[in-house]
Order: sequence, then structure tokens, then C-alpha cells
Amino acid sequence: MQQLLNGLFTGSIYALFAIGFTLVFGVLDRLNLAHPAVFAVSAFVGIELVEVAGLSIWYTLPIVFVVGGLLGIIIERVAFRPLKNRPDAHFAGLISSIALAGMFIALLQWRYGPNTRRFPADSFPSTTFTVFGAQVTLLQVAILVISVALMVALTLLVAKSRLGRGMRAIAENPTAARVLGINVDRVTMTTFAISSALGAVAGALFAMNVNSAQLGMGTAIELKGLAVIIVGGMGSLPGALVGGLLLGLAEVFAVANIGSSWRDMVAFGLLFLILLVRPQGLFGARKVREV
Amino acid sequence: MFTESTLVFIALSAIFAYSFYAVLVAGQLSLGQAGFASLAAFTGAALAPSPNDVGDLPALLIAIFIGMTVGALAAVILGLPTMRLRGVFLAIATLAFAEAVRILIINMDWTGGAQGMSVPKILEPWMAWVLLALVAYWFWRQGPSRYGRALEAIREDELAARAMGIDVGTHRLSAFIAAGAIAGLYGVLWAFYVRLIAPEDFGFAQAIDGLVTAVVGGSTAFVGPLLGSVFLTMVPEVQRAIGIEAGWIRPFLASLLLLLVILFLPGGLASLLPRRVARLVSGSDSEQAELESRLAQRVHPTEGQTVVNLQGLGKDYGGVHANRDIDLHITGGEVIGLIGPNGAGKTTLVNMISGLTRSTSGTAEVLGLDPGKVAVHKVAAAGVSRTFQHSKLFARLSALENVMVGGHLVSKPTFLRRLFWLPSARRDERRLAVHAASCLERVGLGDKAGNRASALSYGDQRRLEIARALASDPSLLILDEPAAGMNHVEADALSDLIGSLSTDGLTILLIEHNVGMVMKTCSRIVVLNFGEVIATGTPEEIANNPAVVEAYLGSAESEEAS
Repeated sequence: MQQLLNGLFTGSIYALFAIGFTLVFGVLDRLNLAHPAVFAVSAFVGIELVEVAGLSIWYTLPIVFVVGGLLGIIIERVAFRPLKNRPDAHFAGLISSIALAGMFIALLQWRYGPNTRRFPADSFPSTTFTVFGAQVTLLQVAILVISVALMVALTLLVAKSRLGRGMRAIAENPTAARVLGINVDRVTMTTFAISSALGAVAGALFAMNVNSAQLGMGTAIELKGLAVIIVGGMGSLPGALVGGLLLGLAEVFAVANIGSSWRDMVAFGLLFLILLVRPQGLFGARKVREV
Repeated sequence: MFTESTLVFIALSAIFAYSFYAVLVAGQLSLGQAGFASLAAFTGAALAPSPNDVGDLPALLIAIFIGMTVGALAAVILGLPTMRLRGVFLAIATLAFAEAVRILIINMDWTGGAQGMSVPKILEPWMAWVLLALVAYWFWRQGPSRYGRALEAIREDELAARAMGIDVGTHRLSAFIAAGAIAGLYGVLWAFYVRLIAPEDFGFAQAIDGLVTAVVGGSTAFVGPLLGSVFLTMVPEVQRAIGIEAGWIRPFLASLLLLLVILFLPGGLASLLPRRVARLVSGSDSEQAELESRLAQRVHPTEGQTVVNLQGLGKDYGGVHANRDIDLHITGGEVIGLIGPNGAGKTTLVNMISGLTRSTSGTAEVLGLDPGKVAVHKVAAAGVSRTFQHSKLFARLSALENVMVGGHLVSKPTFLRRLFWLPSARRDERRLAVHAASCLERVGLGDKAGNRASALSYGDQRRLEIARALASDPSLLILDEPAAGMNHVEADALSDLIGSLSTDGLTILLIEHNVGMVMKTCSRIVVLNFGEVIATGTPEEIANNPAVVEAYLGSAESEEAS
């Protein structure tokens, strides 16, 4: 039971990270490889806010959300918008976002140095609950609740709101969307902002969960995020949620049953299996080829 | 500034970048090269004899042979199941493979686990540069060969490449195997230079570095990876030389430069070099005549012989009948017009005939094949060639190169012979170029051979599609709305061209909305509406058929009712 819950907590962070990834891919058909850098930046920013400004960890989350949104806007303006009409926009966007991510991480190194950083000792609430015989901290419950709430909110936003309709229209056909009076540039920018804001919250929550932040933390989760969005189905929001939770659980059980050095194999085994058996992912729609 | 290790690292990272270039030229993004390199490095280092027993160079060569074989085999094993994936899906699948390899090697005993394996240092700078030169040479010769053009065509438009008779699956797999072998070479060289190899030397970050090097250098010109490697290896060296030491500035500047290159130099550093344009070298008249001694040698079906025979052919898209119960018999030399309102199912029908779409009912026979059962390139090889309603040219290739790709089926492979500078390869290339030029001439684009396809006007693009389709010497030519966007002078010229092609013995299926042109050009007309044939007959019969008039103009009753 303890295992199951631990898997759910980690999995919900994976899902929150991956849902930002998949949002940009689903709407704009671009893979934003600066997303993991946002994840890392927000973790350091979160620690800084608690340590220097003395904020409670709960108040850092909305601030981190806004910081992530701003980073998303920067990413879109610098790394994606100038490339959008190029025939190789796909490759070019990958590379430019990698470059921007490198700059973000270099700036983190400048501000914080290369070492692991932690939250101050007494920043976490000490409340714990016992659920079905397993020990659960208030923080872990909060992580699960916040992640799921944000993901549900995003799904509703995409399904119901005017902005969400704009996103879905652009996903179908950007030119047609523009002709129909949708401000494609603004919706694109907002999509990046929301995506990065979610990635940022995921980063801060991850740092709280393991009480540490490193420069390389983005890279470590990047591969898992990719695995999650493939397993769930590229561009599928519920797919990212289910995929994330599934991966979290699978990892915990792999560690318990096979050994920790094989843990990362789970993500890639799962990913490979899905690509071969069902390339559109668990929740993805099959793309029809057109002439 | 050029210390020995800088020189070696430039060569090594260039070789690694070439393993990305090998697939990027075919438009594939693979990140599995780190995995290939890792497997090759560890097996090469473990299995090669000790340099003390056989000498440095033989030991290295044996290790290279083992490593390249391992890399190529791994590419086959990974490639067979993943070659049907595209774009980022392929990238992520191959990345997953590389990570799986890394974890596997960490957990093995013979590799030394996470500590790694110590390997003698026997690689000299000159060896690295000789090998780099060989790899670069390979890609230099590959570029303007039939194989190289086919890969570029796949990169630009995979579906059109298929329709030109290129076996896309085999081509993609062979590019992937080349990537595997070269990544294997890199892995072995790395192992025999750095003394200690660890699984972490071949991780995600290294794969990204290789990709970045190839893209920054330029993935459409063979010198690209080399330029990228020199540039990216020198950036930190220059920074060190001018005394920038703070730990964060170096990665920051390197990333910034990368961003600037990708934003402002779309073709990578290689685009700074002048690009060689394929030109026709005109030889003496007798040579010219010899060259023209026909690539086109297909025997076309004669009058009365079956070219297309469709019986009860139908296509459903989840309950929507795009085509239903189509019976159509086309014989040699006919010019068939296929008309009907928008959405009548004309394009679906020709897609089924050319093998791009599978029928859901009925039977089809096209030039002796069932197009629903064989691969598209085989239908093309049987003699079916087509243009597309929305033009699908190879945008970044010149007009001449587009048509040369169209001639894929009638020309001979030249890459291997080009590697050894055999004169026959040069002759075959020129023969193909002359053939392509005559096709361009025929559609009236003779003076635009060197222009990029994407730079041509809309009408010229339509004509280029026809020239490209003609280059494969088809027996059945399918033209999908070729006159769309042409004025009536151009449409008349097109009509004349179709007439002269028919005189050459080609069978032509013409989809067109310009009914006047169809009436003038075709010997028989088929009218589709709501996916069904509503009339067939000579132009006069069709013009007087009330069902056709109704389909196009609406019936008198419905006019009154509304």
C-alpha cells in the first residue's frame, strides 16, 4: 500500500510535467525541449523564495506558476516564433529550444553554483496521515491534489473555453484558424505560457517531494516525460495523466521487485512496447494520411 | 590553439555528427546513435586483440570492424520494427533504445558496470582524420547519386517519393544502417582514445550534441557535420584562449551561439558556402545522340489491351461511401476524362488505382497488378505515374533534380560506382540528366531547370509535376487537376501536350474541372457523382446526357422547389 501511494505521488508529478509537454505538441505539433529547463529553474526559484523571502512553501507555488508562464512566453518568442515558416521548423524548433534550455541552465549555474540545493530545514509541515496502514505526509497529499486539480482545470479549459476552442482549431489547421479570425500568435503564446506554468509547478513540487534541486534534474525527468506522452498518446491530455500515474506506479514496483538499477528501464520498456503495438498511444487518435 | 586532443575531438565529433547526417538527409530524426556507439565501443574494446600482441593499427582496425558491424546490426534490429514511425515518434523510440542500452551496460559485469572499462589509448590524430575523411568522402559521393537523390526526395515528400517508384522502406532502413555503422565507428574511436569508457559517455546529452553538431553545420550539404564540429569544438577553446573562465559563461555562450546559428542560418553553417547547382554539360552532337539513346524503353499496352479494369470497386470511410460499385475498363492508348462535382470521389478513385488508398470492396487490376495488394512503388514500377491535386514537389530540390527523381525507375543505381569514380556512373548520371531535361523541355520548362521547385510559379509547378511523372516512362499517366490555376492559353498548351503523349502510346486518365478542355482532349469521359459512375461515353454523349447536366447544374425541379 505504501508502495502504491508513493507511486501515485511521483506519478502525479510526472503527469503534471508531461501534460505541459503534450499540450504544446498536441496544439502546435512542436516538441519543446526547453520544458525540462523550466522544470529545473522553477525548483531553484521555489527554494530561493522560501529561503530568502521566507515565504511558506504554499505561497511559492502561485509565484512559480507565474514565473513558468513568463518563461513560456520567452521560449515561444525566442525559440519558436521566428522559425514557424521554415520547411524544417520541426528540427529547428528542437534545436533552438535545446539552445535556450542551455542558456537557462547556465544562468542557474551562475546564480546558484553547481551544487545541490535544499529547502530550509523547517519549511515542510510535519502533519502525517495514516491511510490503509500507510504513512502519508500532508505534503504528499498536497502534491497529488494540486497536480490533479491543475490537470483537470487544464482539460476543462481546453474542452470548454474560448481559448481552448482556439487551441483545438489551431491543432486542426493553423491557416484555417487564422482565416476564421483566431489570433493564432496569441493563442500559441498562451499555450506555451500555460504549458510552462504547469511544468514549473511540477518542478517546484518535485523539489519539495525529494527536498533537493540539481541543475540536471530537468534532463532526468525529460526522458520520463517523453515516455509518458508517448504511452498516453501524443497530444492527449487524459493520456498524459494516466501515463504519468502508470509510470510512477510501474517504477515503484520495479524497484521493489527487480532492483533500483533497473528502474529507468521500466519507462523505456513501456515506451518501446507502446510504440510497437499501438503507436498512437493509449488515448491518442490515429492520424489519417492525406493526399 | 589546436592541441592534439582538440584535433582528435574535432574529428570524433564530426564522425558522430555524420551518423546523424546519414539519416537527416532522408528526413529522419534518430537519437539512437549514442546507443549504437555504446554497444560498439564496449564490444569492440572487449573483443579486439591487445595492441601489445598485434600492434596498434591492426588492433584498432579489428576493433573498428567489430564496432561497425555491431552498430550496423543494432541498427537493423532497431530499424526493422521502428522504420514505420515518423518524426518525433522515431526520435523518441530510438532515444528509448539508447537509454535502454545504457542501463543494460550499467547492469552488465563484462562492461565494468557504472565504473566503466579501461581501454588502451592507441588512436593517433592522423588516424582519426583519415577515417573522418573516408566518412566525408562517402557522403560527398552519395549526394548526387541516384540513391542520394532518392533519400532527399523522401525527406521532402515521402508520399510523392513512393509514387515515383522509390522503395521508401528499404531506403530509410539503409540510411539507418549507415548511421548505425558510423556511430559504431565513433564509439570505437572514442574508446581507444579516452582510456576509460563509461556508459555515461553515451547518454542523452551526447546524442543531443551529435544532433546539434549536424544541424548547426547543415544537414543538406556533406561538409555540414565537419563545419559544425569545428565550430562547436572551437567555441570553448576560443573562450579559454581569451580568458573566459567562469563555469557558467562557457555553456551560456555556446548555447547562445547555437541559438543564433539556428535562427539566422537556416541551412546551417554549410549554407555560407556557395551551393553547387546541378547543370547540364552539353557535349558533342554524337555524344548527345548517344546519351539520348533512350532511357524510355517500356512497351506500352496497345489499343484494345487492358490497362485498368475495375469491378465493383468501393471505398468506405467509416460509413461514408467515397466510392461505390465502380466498374471501369480502360484500354491502351485511351485518353479518359474523369469529371464530377467536388467531393464526387474522383481523387479517391485515382488513389485506389495508383495504390495509395486501399479499396474496401470490389477488385482492381492495373497493368497486371492488384494495386490494393502491393506496395505503391511496385505499382509505379509497373508503369503507373501520377501528379497530385495539391502539388507535391520536392520543394528544396531544383526542377531538374525533381524530374531526375521522377526518372528513378528508368535509371541505374550510381552510388557505389561513384565511390570508385567509374566513368560508367558519370555516363549514367548524364544520361538521366539529359532524359530529365528533355521531359522539362516537353512541358515547356526547359529554361527553368536550375530553379528550386518552391521558387517556381504555380502554373510552372503544375507543369513540373507532369514532367516528373513523365520521367518514369509510364504506360498509364494519371493527371489530377493539372489545369487548375492555368489560364486558357496554358490549358490549351496542356491539352496539346496530352494529345501528343497519347500519340506516343501512353494511356491517360485526366481529372479536370475545366469541362471544355476535357471535351476537347479526351476520347471517353467518365462522370462521377456521390461516389458512383453516373455516365460514361464520348464527349458528345456526355454533353447531351441529362443526368450529367443535372449533377452539374442542379435539376429544374429542385430549382423550382427552392
